[in-house]
Amino acid sequence: MKRFKVFINIEKEEEWLNEQLQKGYRCTHINSLGLYTFEKTDQKYVMRLDYQEYLPKEKLEEYIGIYEDFGWNYIKGAGLGIRYWQKEDNGQNEIFSDRQSQGNYYKRLMNYSLWFGMLCLVFSFMIYKDTRLYHEGLWDMNGALFWKALIFETPFVLLKLLPILMAGIFAGSYYKAYVKYSMLREKS
Amino acid sequence: MKHKLLPLSETMHYILLALREPLHGYAVMQKIEHMSKGSVSLAAGTLYGAIENLSKHGWIEPVGHSGRRKIYKITEEGSTILKMEQERLSHILSLYEEGEVNEEV
Repeated sequence: MKRFKVFINIEKEEEWLNEQLQKGYRCTHINSLGLYTFEKTDQKYVMRLDYQEYLPKEKLEEYIGIYEDFGWNYIKGAGLGIRYWQKEDNGQNEIFSDRQSQGNYYKRLMNYSLWFGMLCLVFSFMIYKDTRLYHEGLWDMNGALFWKALIFETPFVLLKLLPILMAGIFAGSYYKAYVKYSMLREKS
Repeated sequence: MKHKLLPLSETMHYILLALREPLHGYAVMQKIEHMSKGSVSLAAGTLYGAIENLSKHGWIEPVGHSGRRKIYKITEEGSTILKMEQERLSHILSLYEEGEVNEEV
């Protein structure tokens, strides 16, 4: 089974992957365009997602090595620093066992949202700087012609608005991670 | 200002204590499970992050390999930290004992 899906929020993605596992589909590969490959399985698995920015080769080997010692399998992801871990369900299904490391995880998620959100903003600025959303001539048109042109152009306008919309969603997931991070900080 | 890892969290404390002998990551987890009588069971991400953090601050250091696994040991600086924590905790323990004496009086 193959499914195409795009996630901005890493925790939502983890949730979705675990829902598929409950239906008996185990993710085996994720490509950079957001195509998830699944296979049918009878065994129970869990998936956990971590976020680690670029790790040099030696660090990555150590990182993967420690997780593998605990029984986690590394699933090749799309890059971008999201690390996909899968393991047979045996009751020890978490990748973080204390508040400090859980907090650091949310800190990393905040960084993730921040950088990609900024990227979207820069991209939006580049697009909107020297083009208007609608053609200038549009507003001089009359009657049916105006409506036809408006309807024709609107999908392109929505496409142009996509980066700023994404920046907004990144801002939302930054905030969510921040709330969880500060809740963990308060208790310690 | 106090170091940001002080006072030591339970995880960090146990890892430093375990690494008074050289061990690789997974062995650290196993040793801690034993030392804590099963009450502290580190997860993979927590262990990785703690090792990263402790070696960044120079409290532990890699001392060799066992296959593909890196072996770590506590440093001079790490031992000093343990010493400081020991003093802090024994002081707190002494306060517990004082309390008990006062109650008896």
